Amino acid sequence: MADLLSISSIRERIFNPTKHEKSVARSSNPFAQTSFKGNVLTADVFVSENQNNEKAQNNNGISFTGKLKASALVGSIAGIGDRIKAGIESVAAFANRIKDNVVNCWNKLNNTEITFEPAKQAISRAGERMTDALHSMFEPGISKNQIAKMEDLSVARQLFMDNSETWAIQAGLRA
Amino acid sequence: MVDKKVVKNVKNIIDGLAMHQNPESVAILEDIGTNSPVDEIREMTAKALVQKNMPESLKVVITNKGKGINDMSTGVAMCTINELLSLEDKTEAVRILEDTVENNSDEEVRDNARSIKALMALS
Repeated sequence: MADLLSISSIRERIFNPTKHEKSVARSSNPFAQTSFKGNVLTADVFVSENQNNEKAQNNNGISFTGKLKASALVGSIAGIGDRIKAGIESVAAFANRIKDNVVNCWNKLNNTEITFEPAKQAISRAGERMTDALHSMFEPGISKNQIAKMEDLSVARQLFMDNSETWAIQAGLRA
Repeated sequence: MVDKKVVKNVKNIIDGLAMHQNPESVAILEDIGTNSPVDEIREMTAKALVQKNMPESLKVVITNKGKGINDMSTGVAMCTINELLSLEDKTEAVRILEDTVENNSDEEVRDNARSIKALMALS
């Protein structure tokens, strides 16, 4: 009987068990817990090839069976990392650009404030010219029909205000 | 001495605003005319507001203290009262006077409105 072991061989097996056991790989992925292009694999993508085949057949889903496909997956993950990195860099560039724009805007505002006084004087001069033009338009005198037919009453308001103020000043009621 | 041209301009502006149909004309008369330090301007303005015979314009000269019939100048107040008594259609003026007598918070304004209402009934 071939399967019958001698006492000596049994003894040797008891005291040197690993010597005669067949090596059984607990994991088919020798690179588990190592990195591909700097990406640490947290899962054993090579395990249970048969199970994956069954799952793929049952679910008709995408399965990454086989070492070639798995390595492709790892490569794609590494690519995603690059893209994320590039995205982060573009966000940083965008933020820098916004910051620059804000700084430029602030500088422009400062420059505007410096040049505001002449602009204010120019606006004031324009207002005075408009008032002068308004009064020269009514130089011969204001008729009640002109006022009654006015569509824009802001002119009438201005004329009333100016003439009543002049009256009050000439009467000595206003300085 | 006040320039005659200025006086004429003010008079024409007030008359023109009295003829104007836009409600903004009442606001201009109230803002500038009734707040003027010149008695003559306040008098002309009050007359113009009464002549318009609109609820908004009549309220200005009846319900406001220091304006129209309640003006601190007797001349301005009397002139406004005369203009109210001269109205052909007094319906709106009487309605506002009654409302003022009943609801106005100021006693002096209520008394003035009551007196004018009595005069309106007699005229």
